[in-house]
Amino acid sequence: MLRRLFSTLATNPLAGVFIILVAIFGISSLLSPYFLSGYNLSVVARALAFVGLVTIGQASLMIIGELDLSLGVIGGLCGVVAGMLMVTYGLPPIVALPAALALGSALGFFNGFLVSALGLHSLVLTIGTAGVIGGANLVLTRGIAITGIPKEIQFLGRGDIFGMPVPFAVMLVALLVVGFLAAKTPFGRYMYAIGNNSAAAKMLGIKVNRIRVLVFTMAGFLSALAGILMVARLGTAQPSIGETWVLAPIAAAVIGGVATTGGIGTPLGAIFGAGIIGILENIIVLFGVSPYWQGIVSGAIVVLAISFDAISRRYLRRETV
Amino acid sequence: MAYLQARNLGRDFPGVTALDKVDIDIELGRVHILAGENGAGKSTLVKLLTGAYAPSRGSLTIDGRDPTADPDLFRTIAYVPQELSLFPHMSVAENLFLPYNRTGHGGALFHRRAIEAEAQDYLHRFGIRAKPTDLVRNISVPDQQLLQIARASTNKEMKVLFLDEPTSSLTPTEVERVFKVINGFRDANHAIVFISHKMDEVLEIGDDYTVLRNGEKVAAGRIADTDVSGLIQAMSGEMLRLDATFRPDIEADRSSDPILRVEGLTGRQFKDASFSLWRGEILGFAGLVGSGRSELMQTVFGFLKAKSGSVRFCGETLRLGDPAASVKAGMIYLSEERKHHGIFAKMSVRDNIGMAIHDQTAGFAISARKEKAAVSDIIAAYGIKTSSMSKEIAYLSGGNQQKAIIGRAMARRPKLIIFDEPTKGIDVRTKAEIYRIMKTLAEEGIGIILISSEMTELRKCSTRIIAMHSGSINGEFVTEATDNETLVGAIFGAKGQKNAA
Repeated sequence: MLRRLFSTLATNPLAGVFIILVAIFGISSLLSPYFLSGYNLSVVARALAFVGLVTIGQASLMIIGELDLSLGVIGGLCGVVAGMLMVTYGLPPIVALPAALALGSALGFFNGFLVSALGLHSLVLTIGTAGVIGGANLVLTRGIAITGIPKEIQFLGRGDIFGMPVPFAVMLVALLVVGFLAAKTPFGRYMYAIGNNSAAAKMLGIKVNRIRVLVFTMAGFLSALAGILMVARLGTAQPSIGETWVLAPIAAAVIGGVATTGGIGTPLGAIFGAGIIGILENIIVLFGVSPYWQGIVSGAIVVLAISFDAISRRYLRRETV
Repeated sequence: MAYLQARNLGRDFPGVTALDKVDIDIELGRVHILAGENGAGKSTLVKLLTGAYAPSRGSLTIDGRDPTADPDLFRTIAYVPQELSLFPHMSVAENLFLPYNRTGHGGALFHRRAIEAEAQDYLHRFGIRAKPTDLVRNISVPDQQLLQIARASTNKEMKVLFLDEPTSSLTPTEVERVFKVINGFRDANHAIVFISHKMDEVLEIGDDYTVLRNGEKVAAGRIADTDVSGLIQAMSGEMLRLDATFRPDIEADRSSDPILRVEGLTGRQFKDASFSLWRGEILGFAGLVGSGRSELMQTVFGFLKAKSGSVRFCGETLRLGDPAASVKAGMIYLSEERKHHGIFAKMSVRDNIGMAIHDQTAGFAISARKEKAAVSDIIAAYGIKTSSMSKEIAYLSGGNQQKAIIGRAMARRPKLIIFDEPTKGIDVRTKAEIYRIMKTLAEEGIGIILISSEMTELRKCSTRIIAMHSGSINGEFVTEATDNETLVGAIFGAKGQKNAA
């Protein structure tokens, strides 16, 4: 029984990151009496929800061998646009929120379309589109937050459902859907095929461009969702929403076993990675580390986590080959 | 005593013995042939002899000394892998002298002029036509192959040179260039270890031979004392009939519409190609590397864009430039570049095969049960040797990867399969298996196009052969009625031949 558990752990690529996650969770609860408090856990879960949604999209893109650096600003712009539609134009949320989601999907679609049609490198292209989208945000808001978000949507950001924060539940649903797509459907298998070897995928008759555009669209949609939930949580539409959603999801995905070269990893692993980063950031705050030092500490721990993962992988590989 | 000598050499990997009880003597001034089927243990032996792996058992001596005590001895052994391992964005000269500290160019500053001047000698000696300043990505494949050998020889301490299938993508004239180089090394009292699946080459260049099968040495001796059938029997452990032909035993059905009719197709590297393929025949395409055969077929398939012309497939006009549409219509292209265009290296055998049969195994979600059953059927039907279907396909031998790709293609019930160099780097027995598969398919009415650089392969399998020369179709021949000379003449551009029905 125990042996079987160990052998599953040794062969499952998610085992390493899961063990790190559990270990960090355990150590954190030993180190700080506040860590396990209901309030603190809900803070961690809520924070994880927003970065998590973007991480699911970014991880899916990384699986097909692409990267979208504009996901953060897409989230910000869609949050702001949702806010403006509701406050400035007085549209009901039932119209404004889907419109913002549609905008996010359209921006993702646009990125994917340009990458496919022009054969561009997504990293470089999205540096450009990130500039444009972030700039549009500033033009619309002039850097000023939009206040007076309708009270009835605030439960989306602040409320609880099934004993967990609503954004966290939304993130779990997204994870379930995308995880299922990636693991169990032909579409998902094709994602991995494209990330592994897009020329071979094309030779096999897989519609590479169509799948690439769809994954970009999905990532844009998830970022918009994160942006809207953030607006609901803050009660104001801040132009700065999404500023921290660029690098953290990439780091989370890599910690979670998604290869930067494509074709390897799962959305679930990426969320484990996001969980590790989230808990670390929380414990740094709980310990009262000076805010000036927080960047150094959290960055160093990310480097440690990735190194640990790389070393354990090399060890496992030597054992099996 | 031989310069490089191994006794009772063995190497284990967890769960498998890759090599056991191997004795080998590599002598200076001689060419040693290392033969064996894919998976016989050749690569493992080479890695042990070149110091890339440490042996689990047995002893190894270089120049009478033990390299475990003095690893520097391995510096006298150079290895040229089968896969090109050059730096494509650097110049010929820069590639030639890497690593610079071993070739006398290791100072603090890098003297571009000096190495370019010195490179000229090497290029001349090895018959490489490229200039020292050319970027490697722009030079021809044969030049790249020769450049790899030249690079190994810039190591001034070299005594033994391992060449792993150096001729696999070369035409006969280019093979002659490689042989000239090998003979030069032999005359300079170097030892050469030559690995190849092409028996005629082995007999021509070899002095000694060692044959491996299932990780053990099964035969060794002087090439002069053996022949093709002796070597093949040692490799496969059974008598294989080599003179057999694999042409379809039925008449091509010319009365109905052809499966494929290509008219005036022009694309990058070829122009104005027209031909037809009828039910029941295997249509061979001969030509030199770079004559446009692969480009023509990739354009027919839609992987490359066409400039003009049309393709009719099974009576319908095919949308050009859309491989997904071609596959949907029933056309499959099996690329020469397995690694780049065929397999998903990091994915399992199951994923690699399952990828193409989702219409049978998936509604919205994939049924794991159906997929496992379908994949294990294909593994059994095509005799794919793998310990488990969840093994990464990169760990399978080339022949088994090729069978997996063919099995995957067949599972889609195609109407036409284009085989581009299907037996490159594949052993004799698996070759015969692939020929037999092609023959059966053609007799079942599936159109088969075979692109090959091996004239014997084309003659054995094809009903008709189309020759290509520098981008144009230069003659069309019924195989049985044509001699080898005419065919070779056609691929080198001799004019005015056509004896097709």
